[in-house]
Amino acid sequence: MDGELKKGTLLTSENGNKYMVDSLLGEGGQGAVYDVVMEGKHVALKWYHKDKATSDQRKILDNLIEKGAPDEHFLWPEDLVIAENGKRFGYIMPIRPKEYKNPVALMKGMINPSFLTLCKVAYNVTLEYQKLHKLGYCYSDISFGNLFFDPKTGDVLICDNDNVSVNGLYASQVLGTPRFMAPEIVIGQAKPSRNTDLYSLAVLIFYMFIVNHPLEGAQEASIKCMDIHAMRLIYGENPIFIFDPDNKTNRPVPGYQDNANIYWDIFPQNVKDLFTISFTTGLKDPRQRVTENTWLEIFANMITGIIRCPSCKHEIFYDTSKEELGVAHTCWHCSATAKVPVKMVIGRKVIVLNKDSKIYAKHTIGNSDMTTITGEVSINPNNPSMWGIKNLTQDNWTYIQEDGSQILVPPQRSALIKANAKIDFGVEIAEFK
Amino acid sequence: MANEEMEMEFERPGAALANRPLHFFWLVDCSGSMFGEKIATVNNAIQSCIKPMQDAAENNPNAHLFIRTLKFATGANWVSSNPIPVEQFVWDDLAAGGVTDMGKAFELLAAQLTIPPMSDRALPPVIVLLSDGQPTDNYKKNLDKLLHLPWGKKAVRIAISIGKDVDDDVLLEFTGNREYVLQANNAEDLTKMIKWASTVASVVSAPGSQEPISQQADDTSMAGDNNTGGAYDMGNIPQPSAGVVW
Repeated sequence: MDGELKKGTLLTSENGNKYMVDSLLGEGGQGAVYDVVMEGKHVALKWYHKDKATSDQRKILDNLIEKGAPDEHFLWPEDLVIAENGKRFGYIMPIRPKEYKNPVALMKGMINPSFLTLCKVAYNVTLEYQKLHKLGYCYSDISFGNLFFDPKTGDVLICDNDNVSVNGLYASQVLGTPRFMAPEIVIGQAKPSRNTDLYSLAVLIFYMFIVNHPLEGAQEASIKCMDIHAMRLIYGENPIFIFDPDNKTNRPVPGYQDNANIYWDIFPQNVKDLFTISFTTGLKDPRQRVTENTWLEIFANMITGIIRCPSCKHEIFYDTSKEELGVAHTCWHCSATAKVPVKMVIGRKVIVLNKDSKIYAKHTIGNSDMTTITGEVSINPNNPSMWGIKNLTQDNWTYIQEDGSQILVPPQRSALIKANAKIDFGVEIAEFK
Repeated sequence: MANEEMEMEFERPGAALANRPLHFFWLVDCSGSMFGEKIATVNNAIQSCIKPMQDAAENNPNAHLFIRTLKFATGANWVSSNPIPVEQFVWDDLAAGGVTDMGKAFELLAAQLTIPPMSDRALPPVIVLLSDGQPTDNYKKNLDKLLHLPWGKKAVRIAISIGKDVDDDVLLEFTGNREYVLQANNAEDLTKMIKWASTVASVVSAPGSQEPISQQADDTSMAGDNNTGGAYDMGNIPQPSAGVVW
């Protein structure tokens, strides 16, 4: 490609930092990404193609660099590097650790994270995009390419932040990525916005959970040549959710779109309801798309709602609606029936208490932190049939027995899991059910 | 507390994401006039495109890219009898010598773009024709046949015109779109054009982030409505350099 940067090239940034080009990491439509070194530290440089190095792009970058990253999960532009002739430029961002994988690896079956991890990824990525939206930005191009996650922990990194722009002041160079763009963008009636981000986010999460596009059913299967016109039809002009309860014309085709049917049945009803809203009413009306808080509440309950099959130990999602209807939880893998363990309920937050269950800061202090573990199930060493919740915080908890009597639960001590008993965490009160 | 269940791996059910094949064809003129620097440049340029094509394919879960090479001189031959998955594709250097039986190449290609061997569901095929001369056979009938096949019609067809002796009208007939006839005046151009053509597979299968039309550097209108390729935002179509002519 023209103007490739050679190893050893020295570039100076606006802030006067000197970066030496080490190696090419990858190339994309907008530019190439290099590993560059400054004072012994490796960082990444995105170097724009000549025709993409526009003054608009530079304005966006200047603003993003000035504002700074919403948090450390964004590989955010940190410094602007300009070529000596002033015509080309690029930006510096943190380098991505190798253990982080792209959803493409998941789609291709090259990694096999647990459902628990996928729920953590869904939670974390939604939380990050929410942070961006809270600052008044929209991302404009949520898709496979810009999310990376740790398949072991579910930690996420958001990259390609150079298209982030102020919501409502469309200035970005992108319209989005096909299959992820909201229908109103595909048919040319809208530009990227916070509401189109919400659509793309729903597509991304649907892909990760169901391993099928939400609109690729019989209609897609009936098309021989998937060219740009066919894509416009499926994703723009005539989008139909494959599980639309009122329109059964676009169901997945057995033998071709099997993943959709396999996975859909595994997930709990409340998340399926959110997908249904996203891809029925939300498909047509951008204002009615599912917002981050609604997703987060459901994903948090999925993280704490996994039951182990008593027979084969595979993960089964606890499903409130099944319990309410008196339907058994059967294992998708071996068909064994799983008994629902005692649950801890805090308002709308539900934690199913298995012997390896954790509770997080979100539960005990009511923030959105589903990473910091604040408590876990512990087994009484003197009586293995007695399970408790161990206090992993620095604060005292109060255990409230059914008769109202109260017992102090200091750090590192455990309180017995017993139906109708409660734990007062200080901010939130949990009840065992 | 170590927990064996947390550390054990439990497979999720299901398979990889369903994808569609994308057939990519290199049609290379190996006639005598390609002898020497031209064919050497082609060999080097296509070989150096393989790794980037593999990398792009690796990032694309919606397509499975297959590559084949068809050479024509006196007669035409497939270099490999079957489509090769991009991850296994290697380039066999081509030698030049003979006349320019381009029509024969169109005939062999048409046979491969028929269903079967083409599958029912696929992404638009991409055909890249490289030539430095004029057909010496009666190409018209076979080109017509190719362009009337459903998959021939849908294919994104690109021609790289090497040097000044080419009959660009033939190449235009083949592409159906003047923008897709790329002029390579020297080795550097040729390498640049081949590299660009090799990226068309990813534009067609998993178009990357799309830019608003108004911001494209070259907002030339796309001619050739009969060509699917005309609707794609190819961006960045390389321009020939002025100067040395072979």
